[in-house]
Amino acid sequence: MLAYHLKIAFKSLRRNPVLSTLLIGGIALGIAVSTAFVTTYYLMASDPIPEKSDRLFAVQLDSWEVDDPYDDDHPEEPPLQITYRDLQGIMQSDIPSLQSGMYKAQLTVHPEAETDRPYRANTRLCFGDFFAMFDVPFTYGGYWGQQADKGPEPVVVLSQETNQRLFGGENSVGRTVRLEDRDFTVVGVMDAWQPMIKYYDVNNFQFDESEEIFIPFNFNRPLELSSSGNTSGWKFHPGNEYEDFLQSENVFIQMWVQLDSDRQRDEYLSFLDAYTEGQRELGRFERPTNNRVRPVMEWLEVNEVVPEEAKLMLIIAVLFLLVCSVNLIGILLGKFLARAPEVGVRRALGASKLSIFAQHLVECELIGLLGGGIGIVLSALALELINGLFDDTFSFGLDLNMVGAGVLLSLVSGLIAGVYPAWRICRVAPASHLKLQ
Amino acid sequence: MHFGPILRALMHNKTRFWLITLEVGLTLAIVVNCINVTLDFRAQYTHESGMDEANLMVVTTEPFGAEFKEEEFVENLEREDLASLRSFPGVRDALATTSVPISGGGSATSRKALGSELDSESTPYYIVSDHVVDTFGLELLAGRRFEPGDFEFDEDENGDILHRNVLVTETLANAYYPEGDALGKMVQNDEGQLTNTIVGIVSDMDNSWPTWDNGKHRVLFFPGQPGSDRRMRYIVRVDEGAIDSVFSGLEQRVLGINPERIVRVETLGEYREDYYSAQLAMIKMLSAVSFLLLLITSLGIVGLTAFSVTQRTRQIGTRRALGATKGDIVRYFLVENWIITGIGLILGAAMTYGLNFVLVSIADSPKLEWPLLVGGMLLLWVTGVVAAYVPAQRATLVSPEIATRSV
Repeated sequence: MLAYHLKIAFKSLRRNPVLSTLLIGGIALGIAVSTAFVTTYYLMASDPIPEKSDRLFAVQLDSWEVDDPYDDDHPEEPPLQITYRDLQGIMQSDIPSLQSGMYKAQLTVHPEAETDRPYRANTRLCFGDFFAMFDVPFTYGGYWGQQADKGPEPVVVLSQETNQRLFGGENSVGRTVRLEDRDFTVVGVMDAWQPMIKYYDVNNFQFDESEEIFIPFNFNRPLELSSSGNTSGWKFHPGNEYEDFLQSENVFIQMWVQLDSDRQRDEYLSFLDAYTEGQRELGRFERPTNNRVRPVMEWLEVNEVVPEEAKLMLIIAVLFLLVCSVNLIGILLGKFLARAPEVGVRRALGASKLSIFAQHLVECELIGLLGGGIGIVLSALALELINGLFDDTFSFGLDLNMVGAGVLLSLVSGLIAGVYPAWRICRVAPASHLKLQ
Repeated sequence: MHFGPILRALMHNKTRFWLITLEVGLTLAIVVNCINVTLDFRAQYTHESGMDEANLMVVTTEPFGAEFKEEEFVENLEREDLASLRSFPGVRDALATTSVPISGGGSATSRKALGSELDSESTPYYIVSDHVVDTFGLELLAGRRFEPGDFEFDEDENGDILHRNVLVTETLANAYYPEGDALGKMVQNDEGQLTNTIVGIVSDMDNSWPTWDNGKHRVLFFPGQPGSDRRMRYIVRVDEGAIDSVFSGLEQRVLGINPERIVRVETLGEYREDYYSAQLAMIKMLSAVSFLLLLITSLGIVGLTAFSVTQRTRQIGTRRALGATKGDIVRYFLVENWIITGIGLILGAAMTYGLNFVLVSIADSPKLEWPLLVGGMLLLWVTGVVAAYVPAQRATLVSPEIATRSV
């Protein structure tokens, strides 16, 4: 029966090619625009590390000024980053399965090749656990161990692009890279790794590229590296030396831990509370105890990583599809009613209402699917255009989920648009149109 | 023209009537709101920065030589760089600074009027060499420019400079001293260790974050030595129209003085494009969506009017046979269209405000002003008329004799 309905539907579409183009083109545009913007929203709002996002926690300690909260609009919120002193304190804990403080800095790279001039590279200072925590993929080698963290030993992990630039993409493990005024040994080369949201550090720009170079955190001291991300402070600290800065109340370090069970989580929170209690006795942490460990998705929500523009476009895109559907209803209604005499004859010859209804609905779904297919291809193009508009900050692309969503959207809009016209036409009385013939 | 028969005919086909009404209304709501947001983004992008922006360039150098670790070396090189930049043909003036306006990158501290009990004001600042007023192209509203004496400081035992003279913009001066008498007065940090005397007030200019509403036009200039072993940065003002000719020469000029650094030359206009890239992209996306939507709706109107013409072939023939002119027929369909789009637009006006309300609360969009709505209604009305005209014209081709023919 379906095959028969489909055959008739195709015939009907071929009978009036201009109108059919209008119908299919209209729904294709609707699907293209809505799928494209739903995709951008979905990619920004979805879980960046679904396998363990509920076990990774951002750590916050309220080290801020006693009578002036970190965020005036949300006085209950502790600062988003921690101080160097507190990093030293809480890294002593052996409760977390994995843990790393980290921040971003700019380092001068001196390439070996005579032709390549020195350049500044975005560098992340972190502990070896960083790579295990965030499931960073490696092409060659791997990450450094706790020994190298302590040393600190001059080891370095390169991003895929940096390895391409410095070593032509070869296996560079064991080779040397000159950073600032000293040599570092390559221990690992990462595979391509670019989370849509740079969730481990959303400070400056949540869509920033991940860093080019990774070195052990404790090189911050010998290299005197200040953060190229955000540094916030509230308390005047005397002295201009790097050491003065490290001992100050300035926050500039992102702290992440992996806690695999609720028990571990509770234990760690108690540890943090005990730590800040101890600091209070030294005259710090004058605000009420307000320490937090927040899982990835909650962290992203607190940091409002999905831009308002994306929400705006999502609303507009859904309404756009609605207009396209209304448009489709109107034209289908006209098209079907113009066919009333023919339907009248078929009804008189014994076709049931249900069969007429089904046949017209199949035709609508066919239009929906054809339009949807074209629309999904168009939306892939639209996403490319959007990437270009943002200077390739983004690499939006369709994934299987979104193609599925596109197909579903087209089926649903075909259904929504088709039900009423099909219902109207199946109620055509057999006799009325026969009289005229 | 009699509206009565047209209205009664419309009511015979309520569904079609409501569909177009709904489509027109929705389209109006979306298009007007898109334009509203677009205009807001445009206004942000094109607003005046208060500087001589068209003639400003930024030279950023990132040193890698070992000798840059010496503070004195950096100090001397900065002096040399500045002298060389200022003498470059086509250059009007230049200064050294820690960061660049309209760049999204910079620093802020807190200051308040000396002895004030109130909360301090967030204060975006730049550490700069002299020539501030003339390089940015500002107006000196009160007081004086920086003098050599402003660059000589007393350091305490920790090496901290506890007092400096400063220049502030008018807006910031009024934030500290709302009475407008800031000149010569002092400001302090929260705890009071650091103080500054306002020696000059300059006209307003954008700081590093022009879209930060609460900080708009707040700038404080600290006299000092902005360069460091990490970065040395200059703002260069060129003669009117000389930007292209100066642009190509500056990199070599700076490298010629010391090659141990990475040098980037950009115009301030490029910084602006970069800072507003999201707004610019949104303008393009929203315009494209609005255009496509108008296209869909007008095609929809064309389609539906065409059907209504086909359906009423016999009726048209009868009217023609009874003496209606071709003009009468076209007018009939146009008036019918006016009524439908008219009602759709009235409905749409309500929807437009509804959608605006949602967008204001969810996506922080700007509030809608009524003239824009009226403009949008006119636009859609004209679109509707043009779209209906083509099929209406076709209706005149129906010959009167069709009425006498049995199908």
